[in-house]
Amino acid sequence: MGARRWTVRARGARAAAAVVAALGLLATGCGGGSGSGDGKVTIRYSWWGAKDRAELIQKTVRLFEKEHPNIKVKTDFSEYTDFWSKFNTQAAGGNAPDVFQNSYAFLRKYGDKNLLLDLNGQADAGNLSLKGFRDGLEKAGDIDGKLLGVPVGANTFAFFYNPDAYQKAGVTVEEGWTWDDFFAAAKKVRKSDGTLYGASDNANVMYLYDLYLRQNGKAFFTKDNKLGFTKDDLTEWWGRWQSHAKAGELVPGKKSEQAKPKASISADLSASEFTWDNFLVRFAAETKTTLDLGPIPTTDGKRTGQYLSSLMLSGSARTQHPKEVAQFIDFMTHDPEVGRIMGYNRGIPATTAQYDAYKPQGVDAKIAAYEKSVRAELEPITPHPAGADVAEAAFLRIYTQVALGQSSMGKAVDQFFSEAESALGS
Amino acid sequence: MSAASLTVGRRRVRSVIWHVGALAVLAVILYPVVWVIGGSFKPGDQIVGSLQLLPTDPITDNYRRLSDGIADVPISTFFTNSLVLAAGSVIGVLFSCSLAAYAFARIRFAGRDALFTLMISTLLLPFQVLIIPQYILFQKLDLINTYVPLLLGKYLAADAFFVFLMVQFMRGLPRELDEAARLDGCGHLRIYWNVVLPLCRPALITSAIFTFIWSWNDFIGPLLYLNEPDKYTVSLGLKLFIDQDSVADYGGMVAMSLVALLPVLLFFLAFQRYLVEGAATSGLKG
Amino acid sequence: MTPTTTRAADGVPPPGGTSPEKAAPGTRPAPAAGRRQGRPETLAGYLFLTPWCIGILLLTLGPMLVSLYLAFTDYNLFDSPRWIGFKNFQDLFQDDRWWTSVQVTLKYVLIGTPLKLAAALAVALLLVKPRKGQGFYRSAFYAPSLIGASVSIGVVWRAIFNDDAVVDKSMSLFGWDVGGWIGDPDWALPTLITLTVWQFGAPMVIFLAGLKQVPGELYEAAEMDGAGRWRRFRSITLPMISPVLFFNLLLELIHSFQVFTSAVVIAGSGTNTGGPGDSLLVYGWYLYEQGFRNLRMGYAAAMAWMLMLGIGLVTAVLFRTQRGWVHYEEDPK
Repeated sequence: MGARRWTVRARGARAAAAVVAALGLLATGCGGGSGSGDGKVTIRYSWWGAKDRAELIQKTVRLFEKEHPNIKVKTDFSEYTDFWSKFNTQAAGGNAPDVFQNSYAFLRKYGDKNLLLDLNGQADAGNLSLKGFRDGLEKAGDIDGKLLGVPVGANTFAFFYNPDAYQKAGVTVEEGWTWDDFFAAAKKVRKSDGTLYGASDNANVMYLYDLYLRQNGKAFFTKDNKLGFTKDDLTEWWGRWQSHAKAGELVPGKKSEQAKPKASISADLSASEFTWDNFLVRFAAETKTTLDLGPIPTTDGKRTGQYLSSLMLSGSARTQHPKEVAQFIDFMTHDPEVGRIMGYNRGIPATTAQYDAYKPQGVDAKIAAYEKSVRAELEPITPHPAGADVAEAAFLRIYTQVALGQSSMGKAVDQFFSEAESALGS
Repeated sequence: MSAASLTVGRRRVRSVIWHVGALAVLAVILYPVVWVIGGSFKPGDQIVGSLQLLPTDPITDNYRRLSDGIADVPISTFFTNSLVLAAGSVIGVLFSCSLAAYAFARIRFAGRDALFTLMISTLLLPFQVLIIPQYILFQKLDLINTYVPLLLGKYLAADAFFVFLMVQFMRGLPRELDEAARLDGCGHLRIYWNVVLPLCRPALITSAIFTFIWSWNDFIGPLLYLNEPDKYTVSLGLKLFIDQDSVADYGGMVAMSLVALLPVLLFFLAFQRYLVEGAATSGLKG
Repeated sequence: MTPTTTRAADGVPPPGGTSPEKAAPGTRPAPAAGRRQGRPETLAGYLFLTPWCIGILLLTLGPMLVSLYLAFTDYNLFDSPRWIGFKNFQDLFQDDRWWTSVQVTLKYVLIGTPLKLAAALAVALLLVKPRKGQGFYRSAFYAPSLIGASVSIGVVWRAIFNDDAVVDKSMSLFGWDVGGWIGDPDWALPTLITLTVWQFGAPMVIFLAGLKQVPGELYEAAEMDGAGRWRRFRSITLPMISPVLFFNLLLELIHSFQVFTSAVVIAGSGTNTGGPGDSLLVYGWYLYEQGFRNLRMGYAAAMAWMLMLGIGLVTAVLFRTQRGWVHYEEDPK
């Protein structure tokens, strides 16, 4: 017994020593980060996405490093929600990545808190070109005179539908169709098809309601960061969807909640759904049903209210290397080879150089064709206020509670206004 | 004679009943695990919401794809990283928590009760609000993107769960042993090492197993502190298959989660025997 | 090896008058009674506690105090915190979603914890006698707890509780048709509780360790007295493992109050937090959402301290009651 205990002790001591040594190595081996002795600059680039995007980005980063041998780019990535938790934590510690993927929707949220680098100075210094962007994207990152981000890819809202189901119901989807047409179509599809609902209940999608409001000369957010609609407006919108949901034409709340993480349309529950056009790629992988993109219904037969929203690259206000960050963003947005590699992974490339470099195939070609078809209708996007993401989440959640039968319409509308107004700080 | 064989027979019947019963319970409990195994052989679009336990046409693509790695990092790197962290954590917890537990359970010193209460109270605060202050602390120490933030707490007995577990266990040990050792002229260090630790083996093994598993599955820590895919752990790697912008690779994810299960399963298998035998065989005579 | 002999071997009598100490310091008689009390003991105590002391000062106490301070501020993570007194706490009571999260969490804790402990104890009792293949059984019963709350578990859970999947079908045999459980605000929480109970491995292992400490002779004596199974369980097993039961109960309660990841995993990530109709909005999740998505870290800190008060109260009550039902062997002297 005693002997055994001794060997255990010796082994334990050896192991402990090894660990301590390893810890020391780790601590000294990978400290610091930027700027080492040989004049090389290291910048940190973070983005959200999964491994498919990682493979592409890795290639483009290597390309950049070849062109700029004095700059080393360290990348790290995580899933969307995790990305923002991590970003917020790091930024709170003053340690945000030098350059990172951002969304148009967050420019104000983080710009207001002085976390984003104003790239205008770098553009003026010639480190970043602002030329050659597609229509509607030239000034996309310009917020109150500051350039807080540069778009890498853009997309727009679309009407997704199952062409077979629509054909079977004898409905054609045409440009200039109206909301009445849309709801009538959903009803017909529901009647002609025993399994599919006519449409997903998208009353809770902020971006869709924004289009509807624009068709009526309003918008979800006003220029002075308030809600751009009244309680009556919202009651009318939600109420209209609810009446069709209650008639059994739209996917019931319980079913769409159960189908997650799939969307109702890719779970083969419904024959149509509204979302961003680039989701077609995802849906095509999730369902065997062929889906098409169609025009957004209108109010007056003409205006859809659509605009391009974009995925952006932003710099951190606290970066030590603004010049290198600008060079990196410049390369990632303009280099044709990067465009060819990335394809539509982050939306349709923002610059014409990258747009022309990639020849879309299959599902991508469908998206390209759709974007071409709506190009004439695109309007300028209005910046989202800080707190817009909180309002968006509340919009989604509170209507869902109505759809699940947990909340009455009046109570829900009141609750949304109170939550959204407090999030927008009004 | 016949009575004896009767009891042997009865015992055998009982044993069969026991095994049948236990296996039946297991069948229910392991159903989700079998589902995962089945899922790992299904194509990616037939996994979410699937009503089928097993694939109709099993494929091995999901496993084969794992060998491609993620973002130029081979899957084995994630496993190595996780193993280093888990092993480092186990050693740290065993060492630091048992020292603290010995003090709380075996030494009467001024301020003990207050410190014990303090230790218990550290269990009560949800980790979410400690994230930011701790992050800033490690950043000030220039330790971001190292494993130190993930390990340091383990070496400083920051996990009150294990201290408390060991305290509870040490309290169950006979005090006479200490007394005897003390009469032989042993100090606390010798008593701790030669008397208490060997008798606490079940608690130590339990702590080792839990630490290994929890470190293996920890996600938030590695997410916040590690900034290079080379340093990512398995738990981080598991979340790189899905993103709202991407075509989710559920097949790959499910396959990898099974592979990720193997090391912890092996660790458990290897150590579970000491869990329970420890108390009996390490004995009091030794 | 027949069961009886092994059992005899196991039944090392733990130590006649064992532990002099009671679990809760504070319920112990005044320390002056200790004859070894004194400077050298105190020195030794603190020497043993050195790593722990550094740890708690550096890693825990500091951040805890910071969070206490933040609870009284308006702090968005990026600008300096602004002192606002008790406003966060007042706002909590006006916040419907906070009340929802309190309700969801209480339901989860009050139903989930007893079920989980019961499952853990039942399986531990099943496995306590050495048998053929005990390593296999132990590992198999522990397997669910190895997986943790990974995204894969979320996918599995959503699938087996899907409309017409195995759970729904088995239930409809009893004329009980829920449909998809996780899509239904009334049934989503039970799936979360099921997940928790399913991962009963940790308390099971601790119960096993406790059960093995119970001296076999006690049972043999009781059996000779003609005590039935239930009597033996009530009057020997339960009291003998009560310290372990106390530990498990306390720790499971604390853990359950702080549940977070498994709720997120079941609901699936994305912007729609809280699961269908907020039915999975557990306290930890709402706290996280407020702190990290809505950037209201001051508010989140206030929530955390309210939770800490709540759990602290429960813990204190448990420690108080343990004198009544937890049996530590008394100091013989």
